[in-house]
Amino acid sequence: MDMQTQYQDQLVFHLTGKRQGDGLSAIDGLDLRPALLAPYRDLAALRHDFPVVLAERGADAVQSLSNLVNAVLKEVAPRGIEGERLRRHALQLECEIRRAVDAGAGGTLAELWDAAAARLGAREGLHDDSVLEQVLGHAGAALRTEGQVLGCNHEMPARLITHAWQVAQRDKARRFHADLSRLVLKLSDILRAAFSHSQAGRKPQSLKQSIGGPHQGAFDFDALSRIVGKGAPRDELPASRRQRIEHALAELESQRFFAPASAEEDQGRACFGFRFDNCAAAAQAFRERLPEVAALVKAISIAELETAGHYVEAEHDLVFDAFGEHSLTADDLARFPDYLVCIPPQRNDAPENANLMEMLSSAMPVKVLVQTCDLLEEASIGTGHFAFGVRSARLATTAMGLGGMFVLQTPSANLFALRHRVRRGMECREPALFSVFAGAPHGAGPLPAYLSAAAAMLSRAFPAFSYDAAAGSNWAERFSLENNPQPEADWPVETLTYVDTAMQRASEPCAFGFADFMLCDARNGGHFALVPRDRWSASMVPAAEWLALGEREASQRVPYLLAVDGSDALQRVIVDARLMQATRRCLLLWHRLQEHGGVHDSHAERLLTRSKAAWTAEQAAGHEGAPRSPKPHRPRRIRATRPGSTRHAARAATSAS
Amino acid sequence: MNRSLSHCVIKLHEEHHALEDYQGGVPRWCNGCGDNAILAAMQRLCSEEDLAPENTVFVSGIGCSSRLPHYMKTYGFHGIHGRAFPVAEGIKMSRPDLNVFVSTGDGDCCSIGAAHWIHALRYNMNITVVLHDNHVYGLTKKQASPTSPRGLKSNTTPYGATLEPMNPLTVSLGVQGASFIAQAVDWVPEVLYDIMQAAFRHRGFSFVRVIQRCPEFMPKAFDPWLHDPQRTLLLTHADGIQLGASLSSAYRNQRVHDPIDIDRAREIASLDDPIPVGILYRNPAAPCYEDLRHAGQMRSPEYIRAGFDRELDKYTVWPEETTQTQRAA
Amino acid sequence: MNDTATLCPPESGAARAALPIAEHIVEVISDSGEGAQRCGQSLAAIAARMGNGIWTTEIIPAEIQPPARSVAGASGIRIRIGSQRVTNGGDQTDLVVAFNEQVLIGRVQARELKPGATILLESMWRSHRDPAVVASYVTTVEALRKDGFKVYEAPLEERCRELVNDPRKGKNMFVLGLLCNLYGLDPDLAREQIARIFGKKDEKVIRQNVALYEAGAAWGDTNLDFKYRIPARKSTEPQIVVNGNTAIALGVMASGMDICAMYPITPATSASHYLSEVFEKIGGLVHQAEDEIAACAFAIGASYAGKCAVTITSGPGYSLKQEAIGLAVMAEIPLVVVNVQRGGPSTGQPTKVEQGDALAAIFGSHGDAPKVVMAPCSIEDCFYSVITARKIAETFGMVVVVLSDASLSTAQQPFPRPAFSEDWLAPPVDQTPVPPGARPYDWDPVTGLSRRFQPGQPLGMHTLTGLAHDRASKVAYDPAINEEGLRARSLKLAALQKTLLPPPVFGGGDGEAGDLLLVGWGSTMGAIEEAVTRLRAEGLAVSSMHLRFLQPMPSGIREILKRFKRVMTIEGNWSDKLEDELIDEDNRRYSALAMMLRSRFLVDVDCWSEARGQPIKPGDICRAARQKLQSRSQTS
Repeated sequence: MDMQTQYQDQLVFHLTGKRQGDGLSAIDGLDLRPALLAPYRDLAALRHDFPVVLAERGADAVQSLSNLVNAVLKEVAPRGIEGERLRRHALQLECEIRRAVDAGAGGTLAELWDAAAARLGAREGLHDDSVLEQVLGHAGAALRTEGQVLGCNHEMPARLITHAWQVAQRDKARRFHADLSRLVLKLSDILRAAFSHSQAGRKPQSLKQSIGGPHQGAFDFDALSRIVGKGAPRDELPASRRQRIEHALAELESQRFFAPASAEEDQGRACFGFRFDNCAAAAQAFRERLPEVAALVKAISIAELETAGHYVEAEHDLVFDAFGEHSLTADDLARFPDYLVCIPPQRNDAPENANLMEMLSSAMPVKVLVQTCDLLEEASIGTGHFAFGVRSARLATTAMGLGGMFVLQTPSANLFALRHRVRRGMECREPALFSVFAGAPHGAGPLPAYLSAAAAMLSRAFPAFSYDAAAGSNWAERFSLENNPQPEADWPVETLTYVDTAMQRASEPCAFGFADFMLCDARNGGHFALVPRDRWSASMVPAAEWLALGEREASQRVPYLLAVDGSDALQRVIVDARLMQATRRCLLLWHRLQEHGGVHDSHAERLLTRSKAAWTAEQAAGHEGAPRSPKPHRPRRIRATRPGSTRHAARAATSAS
Repeated sequence: MNRSLSHCVIKLHEEHHALEDYQGGVPRWCNGCGDNAILAAMQRLCSEEDLAPENTVFVSGIGCSSRLPHYMKTYGFHGIHGRAFPVAEGIKMSRPDLNVFVSTGDGDCCSIGAAHWIHALRYNMNITVVLHDNHVYGLTKKQASPTSPRGLKSNTTPYGATLEPMNPLTVSLGVQGASFIAQAVDWVPEVLYDIMQAAFRHRGFSFVRVIQRCPEFMPKAFDPWLHDPQRTLLLTHADGIQLGASLSSAYRNQRVHDPIDIDRAREIASLDDPIPVGILYRNPAAPCYEDLRHAGQMRSPEYIRAGFDRELDKYTVWPEETTQTQRAA
Repeated sequence: MNDTATLCPPESGAARAALPIAEHIVEVISDSGEGAQRCGQSLAAIAARMGNGIWTTEIIPAEIQPPARSVAGASGIRIRIGSQRVTNGGDQTDLVVAFNEQVLIGRVQARELKPGATILLESMWRSHRDPAVVASYVTTVEALRKDGFKVYEAPLEERCRELVNDPRKGKNMFVLGLLCNLYGLDPDLAREQIARIFGKKDEKVIRQNVALYEAGAAWGDTNLDFKYRIPARKSTEPQIVVNGNTAIALGVMASGMDICAMYPITPATSASHYLSEVFEKIGGLVHQAEDEIAACAFAIGASYAGKCAVTITSGPGYSLKQEAIGLAVMAEIPLVVVNVQRGGPSTGQPTKVEQGDALAAIFGSHGDAPKVVMAPCSIEDCFYSVITARKIAETFGMVVVVLSDASLSTAQQPFPRPAFSEDWLAPPVDQTPVPPGARPYDWDPVTGLSRRFQPGQPLGMHTLTGLAHDRASKVAYDPAINEEGLRARSLKLAALQKTLLPPPVFGGGDGEAGDLLLVGWGSTMGAIEEAVTRLRAEGLAVSSMHLRFLQPMPSGIREILKRFKRVMTIEGNWSDKLEDELIDEDNRRYSALAMMLRSRFLVDVDCWSEARGQPIKPGDICRAARQKLQSRSQTS
């Protein structure tokens, strides 16, 4: 068969998605994965961020097993051979735990550590017990940070976020209780002080109680009462003040927002819960509790004034009479627990998203986790176009649009790397939205959740970014593209190294694009066709390059991806037009994010070219001895714009020249 | 919390105090007595720092200087000779929230109260001290004081004071824990005030010696210094006292001195002519005794009960039968 | 004859029946540093836990390191164990364990041992390399035997060396074992006690000491031909066992005071030691001032601005505080001063008991300085007195002096565990505005009481002064105003006096009247009442009355005095003895309380007192009382 027909078949497939002729075969069952992911078949063997430990105490709420092991080794491993053996065993142990967790094991670090150590011992212990003993012995050191161990699975994001939320709430509670006990004590002190020289305090019985057992027999308390009562100034606490203080005390002591600091203070009063799995419920709870919030804030403020002796009825009564829910400020609310809403993937639908936006745009102190497990749902219009993660991806950008808000979008694989952001989101007083892609659903492809999530970021299908309204006054300070690989490029490009048919070591640059991500999902098999090696031709171009081609060239070329099959043989699959179209849309979204992040800032670039033109014009004019243009300061002003833009402006300039 | 309701309403209340709010009885000091200058500075300080009169205590011992509390409209404690320091320490220890000032004299502080003075410097509690040093006992009608110039003819030294005067600055600077030592003179009131303010704002034991005139028993004693500005050495520094233009031109004898430099401070302290004026030493890092002792803790009755019962348990003999129940209770 | 042969080892200890006795006085004496006191305290604690009444009296050498084997260097402890409640150290010792014969000599010379008392003596000296030591030992032992003491020689050192390298350190536990076996005390309680003592140290130390204890018990069991049993009655309520100084410190905690300012002085210091250890745990603090004056002034400052404060001292320190106390009186600042009395005047006898400061406490400080003076009369009373003192100080705006003494300070006696009450606590510092127009010294015309203003109270600003002042605290130049102040401050004592009930008369049903009333105050109560009990058993119409308040004296005393033919105070301080050639009714200097009673009630109150530096013994009181009664029968 001649080249022409081969190309015809490929082109037809590309345009229609139909395979004709014997040149192309379906990819189903080939266990294909993008060539760049070839090295990651056995994840457990690779040290990476996961599993993580949700530390029960300490500054770092989330820690990675690898770091903990490193820390222990740093601390206990001796130099020389011994150290090496210890190191080796510790790493084995770590790997053992990782496998267990990936296999679905759960529990605390201590439990998993001991279990793994036992298995290891059973396997290797026989020949050198001593070192194993050592490892086990030193385990204690590592276990200084104790907590639940989590692998990067679909439950992880919710648990990690919840944990971070709990840590933040614990600090809040500590501060709140400190204030509360201070005020309660000082208020009761006022009452006790007043009592000691009140009529009641001078009653024989009260006087008697203030004297210790045997000495009570030495006094005539009626006489004492008469004596101390004589001509004593009538300075009872004014009724209005007493009432105010008692009322404030009652409010403070009956608050239901923070669980009592210690068990004995607990009078079995039911405290509020703040965790929800849907926005409506959270919002309703918030609304219902507002009156109680207001009452408590009022009590606290009155208490502050009374204990400082600054309460002036003439001035403050009015303020407090008028005080209600409407008077609450953000700072008042910030003292109370934040609401946590974890929206599970199955609930993450359009109506829920609508509620979410409504809730976020209200001043409600809430932290929301929206978890997506599938970026590939069909678009609502159902013309067979994917709306790949459009909504989930848009969710974050829309929230960003609301302004006073903290937004973090990231695939789960990245959550540990961005733990400081998570913490920030929990600690900031603004509402926070965490939009997390937890990796394709089980059975959707050959990749484990971790890889699938990582691939989503790599391929720009679900880029990571954060927006922190409180972090600064402009985009540059608020917005960060976080650690997307090669944020300046359309697609990240890695060098792919392999052994060619001639058994020669070869390597070529290879981009990882949206199409590659799609290839990881079996459901998309139809969009790809395998081209046998003997049919490879110059008319096939890598998908990334194909996108860059002009209309005409594109129509004469077919985009392909490099993939490896189950036996790690390098394969080429061509991609159909619909998927390439989706790829373009993905790229558009990515470009928008880039601009937010100051990458290829179009304004800056336009300014630059304009000023370049002006400058060259001036030069020319100068040569002709014409009067100098009155605006030589332009370029400087551009350079004065934020670093991001100038940098890229510079890049653009060089490319332009 | 800064914008929360409680703070808004507290703001709503804040009252400000005028000079009159601190002016008590009419001073019964002689005309031209340096004490008047110090009193004026004190009253101005209180109003400019806006100290609540009810939360401010002036403590003193005995002597002309120690009359000062009577002329303030704050709380005052006019105690016994030489004991102003321990009294002030007790006040500060039980009530760290109060602003505590001590006004003492060269007899009260450097003679009968010397032991307390040395240890007060050691404790370094957050108290502001003014030593009214007029080099003579005034209230008891002219006897030599520890700081009297040698040869001073007084009722107890009719043939002239026998001993060299004591130098309160060098003594203070010799004590471990001293954290603020300054000297002022009553005839340069602007600097006197600046020093008092710095002293008050320093967190720790601020010791300000004010060399002052006693028109009754030591007239003219300081005339040479009054007539010749060169004989007053003004210490200036970014962290010390800065001089206005007029002062600068009046007193040209100036030296830049960094108050953290204790060795230079000791050198300067030992000068008696010219008289050094300014902050000789300041160490903001020196810990305060009341902080080290966690003064002013919140003590709820339950807290005390728990601690007390814990102690009793150590000494308790439980009747066998009730042991368990008792311990449980 | 061979001395040790006199010791007839019985076949087995168990076979010997223990002799039941009502009480015994045991002494353990040694060179200081040999742990005799720890041994005795443990013995007492164990007995107390068994349900016996106990009273311990420490025997303290004046110096810290007296020479070894010296008569003056006797350091140790006397434990009086009874089946009933024990209220004092009793008369003479029934049984003594001595680590060398020299320290023993001191006790014998002081007639502290009962004639024929049992002596268990360390026998190592018999074989000492220094012949002089051996000689002294042998002669002493013979002399003692000649005087009728039952001397048993015990190879303490020798046996301990079998267990520990430094027997000097271990002996005391060996002796503890010996004594516990001798008095049939519960070995389990003993082991607990040892564990408690060495609780801070490791297991090994505890095991070692238990071993020593058991060795001692075993030795006693096989080598002594006698045993005692002092029937015990377990109390049904929890008791606490502490000494007087610890009780005072606990009282400070329970009174809700925030601050104690002190300067180290014997024998008061141990109260401050303990308080320093525990006060911070409940948010209070002990300030060790640069001197006694500063300590008092510090306490006054603290009291003025905050809650009533306390300063703890002893005689010499108390003298130093006088001017400051005068200031507190003049300015009506509440203040509690604890004076743990010691021998005086001047440095006197720092470690020894004396009731010498009553008049100094009542009249101390120049000018008219009315103060309240209380005297705790038991260990339990030490605790409650501080609570009462604080209450009075704050209610009446007065200085309250609490006179404890060296005997109470170290004596241990069980008393019912106090049930803490929040009403004991000092009220919080009042920060509410003072009523408009109120003045800091609005003395009530009848009671002299005025409400105190404290810094932080709006509208209350004034300058407190030690100068005579008017109701507004302005310096008083007008004699009438000065007089008004004097009157008010004095009236407060009368006001308090009106609230004090007459003290109970001790002496049973018909004891309300009789031939002789013994009046005492402070630590002597136990001894006096024991004496009264004995005398009444002899059929004599003797009763006693004990004063807790010396100033003001409770109401109703005059009536009580009237009901007795004779009144005599029993005091631990100096009074001239009529036997002395120069002394007659006109120049005789009476004991403090006698003088007060005579002057106040115009009653011919006699006094019997001794100031030898030792607790007064019930026996001596009995003798004095009998004499007094005889002198009466002679005169009548």
